[in-house]
Amino acid sequence: MRATLALLHLLLLLCMPVVLVGVVNRTKSWWVGRRGPGLMQSYWDLRRLLGKRAVLSTTASALFRAGPYGVLVCHFFAASMVPMIGQFAPLQFSLDFVAVAYTLGLARVLLMLCALDVGSSFEGMGAARAASLSGFAEPALFLVVGSAAAATGLHSFADVIGSLQHSASYGWIVVPLVLALGILLQTEAARGPVDDPLTHLELTMIHEVMVLDHSGPELAAMQYAAALKMTLYTGLIAALLNPFDPLSAPWAALAFGVAAMLLVALAVGCVESLSARLPLRWVPAYVLLASALALLAMAMVGLGLGRP
Amino acid sequence: MNQLIAAVLVLMVGAGLCFLPTRNSVRVAFGLVSQGLATLLTWSVVVPVLLGAPAVTGTMPWAYPIGELHFRLDALGAFFLSWSLPMTLLGSVYAVGYLQRYMAGPRHLGVHFALLNMVSLSFLLVYTGEHAITFLFGWEVAALAAWLLVIWDYGSQKVRFAGFNYLVSTHIGLIFLVAAVMILYTRTQSWFLDDFGVWLEHDPGVLRNTVFLLLVTSFGLKSAFFPFHSWLPRAHAAAPAHVSALMSGVIHKAGLYALLRFILLAGKPDEWMAWFLIAFSLLSALIGGLYTVGQRDLKRLLGYSSTENVGIAGVGFGVGCLGLSWQQPALVALGFGGGLLHVLNHAFFKCQLFYAAGCVYQVKHLVDMEHLGGLVKVMPVTALCFLLGGLAISGLPPLNGFASEFLIYSGLFGSSAGSVWAKLALAAGAALLAFVGAVSALSITRAFGVVFLGAARDDSLPAGHEVNRWMLFPMAVHALGTVVLGLAPVLGFAMVAGPIALLLHGSADAELASSLQPVLASLARIGAYSCALSLAIGVPLWLRARRRAPAVRRDLTWGCGYVLPSARMQYTGASFAIDFTQRFSNILALVMRRQVPMGYFPVTSQLEADCVDAVERRLYAVIGQGDATASDLSKKLQEDNPRLAFAMGLAVLALISAMVFLLEGALP
Repeated sequence: MRATLALLHLLLLLCMPVVLVGVVNRTKSWWVGRRGPGLMQSYWDLRRLLGKRAVLSTTASALFRAGPYGVLVCHFFAASMVPMIGQFAPLQFSLDFVAVAYTLGLARVLLMLCALDVGSSFEGMGAARAASLSGFAEPALFLVVGSAAAATGLHSFADVIGSLQHSASYGWIVVPLVLALGILLQTEAARGPVDDPLTHLELTMIHEVMVLDHSGPELAAMQYAAALKMTLYTGLIAALLNPFDPLSAPWAALAFGVAAMLLVALAVGCVESLSARLPLRWVPAYVLLASALALLAMAMVGLGLGRP
Repeated sequence: MNQLIAAVLVLMVGAGLCFLPTRNSVRVAFGLVSQGLATLLTWSVVVPVLLGAPAVTGTMPWAYPIGELHFRLDALGAFFLSWSLPMTLLGSVYAVGYLQRYMAGPRHLGVHFALLNMVSLSFLLVYTGEHAITFLFGWEVAALAAWLLVIWDYGSQKVRFAGFNYLVSTHIGLIFLVAAVMILYTRTQSWFLDDFGVWLEHDPGVLRNTVFLLLVTSFGLKSAFFPFHSWLPRAHAAAPAHVSALMSGVIHKAGLYALLRFILLAGKPDEWMAWFLIAFSLLSALIGGLYTVGQRDLKRLLGYSSTENVGIAGVGFGVGCLGLSWQQPALVALGFGGGLLHVLNHAFFKCQLFYAAGCVYQVKHLVDMEHLGGLVKVMPVTALCFLLGGLAISGLPPLNGFASEFLIYSGLFGSSAGSVWAKLALAAGAALLAFVGAVSALSITRAFGVVFLGAARDDSLPAGHEVNRWMLFPMAVHALGTVVLGLAPVLGFAMVAGPIALLLHGSADAELASSLQPVLASLARIGAYSCALSLAIGVPLWLRARRRAPAVRRDLTWGCGYVLPSARMQYTGASFAIDFTQRFSNILALVMRRQVPMGYFPVTSQLEADCVDAVERRLYAVIGQGDATASDLSKKLQEDNPRLAFAMGLAVLALISAMVFLLEGALP
């Protein structure tokens, strides 16, 4: 059973990044009245990039070509510890969420170092923004998991998130936690209103500007890794809401998980279409909102709300 | 014990011999050989004790009024000794390369190496001393030797000032320590730490709390906890690289050792002490981390990161204390295990980073990162060592910092006792620690990216080359340690298991094994995870590097259509940090000097950004004010007035006797 679930999880990791990006883009084009690209468009983009040869900057060192693969591998490792179909993850151990956070941290450092490697001021700007925003975002994940762990008494990421609905305070804390995770998704996966993935002005980008000088397969690795990170956070929200136990009702859990992930992607697309991008000086406050929401959830757990 | 005494003698004789020969190279050889010999002698006693043999004790008769000196080497001392001496040896090897250009000159290098021997000697005294006098003596030897090592470049006024600043701070710390020892002596009528322990264990109350606070202040000054860190950035920036490395990585760990020794003596600390320790350490980690982001001097940056890392280790110790006072052996093992492992890991990667910074200084003659850049192409080995150390210091997998921080997180999330609020407070502490981790990743990315990546920012500096082997070897050994302890943290567990067992004194073997088991299990898991991650990243890259790839096309970096890009246009350290630091402008003292372009044809304009120490600034402001007030006062008072002097003397006498009577009456 666990092997099948692990396979399903990996299968999701392979196809959901493409589909989720497709859904977000489709939603955005729907709001502006266009037909928009097909759901699988980013798959074709990746294929096109994989067929090309890279062009390197004259300033770049060996790190520049190695970095993107490191980022991709790190995101894969992190995603294999994050629950997506309810209370299950292929790689699961006590306090694995610390490993998830720090593995994502390694990926982020590699990404920023690649950006600094070409000596471009644009990419330095992107890296600086990414670094400071991730600093503000980092406590939120620990607060979310910390309050969930205190509510459930469990210790691994999948257990804590997947079994939260059996805890007494679930009804109270689910809303702040989902909102906090949503803000984390927008920050870490570079979506609006924190970042604008479709902007064409280097001065305002965050994630996209860091990969400006990558090309060919390395660019493909970077784009796929970014989509994988979005899948990871989407899956986290889906698992938090999933009422089915994947070990006893695997197909129902899978169906609910995929549907919830698609809905989250839809919501991300809607937010991005309906709200303007925040001014950069407000973004840290918005990101800190995630920590504030998680602290609220924590206080609810501490007060024992919902407990009979 | 005999080997330890022999090691002390070897170090002293070696230090003496350093002065005799006429050639610098022979002096240096005496220093290195005696250090190596002392290290081997020490290891021959320390390793068995660390791996579970009973503690080694010894006594030595001494003149009145000290009486008999007692020495005892238990697992805790053995843990610290086992790496302190070899790392000092490595530092001395590095010093040979670092001071190479003085080798043929008239400057006497023997003094420097004799002082390095004295540093090793102080470890032997502090980590085995059972008598308060030997402990204090070793403490003072370390402080004086470190001061003299710091002022190697004493020709420069800045360096002398930094040294003086350090000397004063460390002696203020000594005053607190002596005060604590005086209280303990008056209560126990004994100089032995064991007797102190008996009193501490059975006499909780106001006096014990006072002793605790005095000792934490003293050890905080030694290990540079916030807000007692103000000597640190100056000293680290002024000292030669190996001295900074040894001070930060090895010498000042004595403060943490002494803290642990106190906890061990006190038996069961009060719960408030544990919470105080956690909060105090978190504050250190946070402020130290924030300060690293603003620094432009690479060695100052690394200095602040010491404050951050002793804070992280201190959080582990606090969690361990919480376990002791809640009587939860598993929590004790996780907290102290994580803290001790972090101390060891920090010694590995911090020395490595300082050595790399020293290599940069050797080839470029400065460590101001705004003038550097692109060094990865001229010194690839140094760059790799700095990168590995930087990733480790940010606690990122697959290196050793991750393993110890993971244990500390396990402690913070792993308590099964305590109220729900205590659990939530610990989880919030973990979130703060995660923030510190992200900040440290930011600052190390900034340091590595600005100094080693991109293009060189200043053409007036020498082009640079890889440094000599005397400097590369110690750095590579430390890098190897960082990687090996990351991939196999179980090795580190073998070293910390002894001290943990000591801290869990009184528990049966079965209970001990069951409380050590979670530590071992999580370290094994972390090791497996780190190995898997590094294989998954490394193997494909290695395969690709082996395949002879077709030459790639190279072109200019994307400049948005600008046709005359220059290296000066790159993002600098200041511009990288400003997004983040300006949000904390009420904690960090940011300094900006700017000359904005004026008129239609602006000629010159410049911007200089720096981050100075707010505590130091405040301290000097207060001292300056106090000075002014005192001189005002003395102007108003007529000093030669005998009646006034007599009245003042009487008043002070009355005050002192009132205090003695009151305190004797009020305190238990």
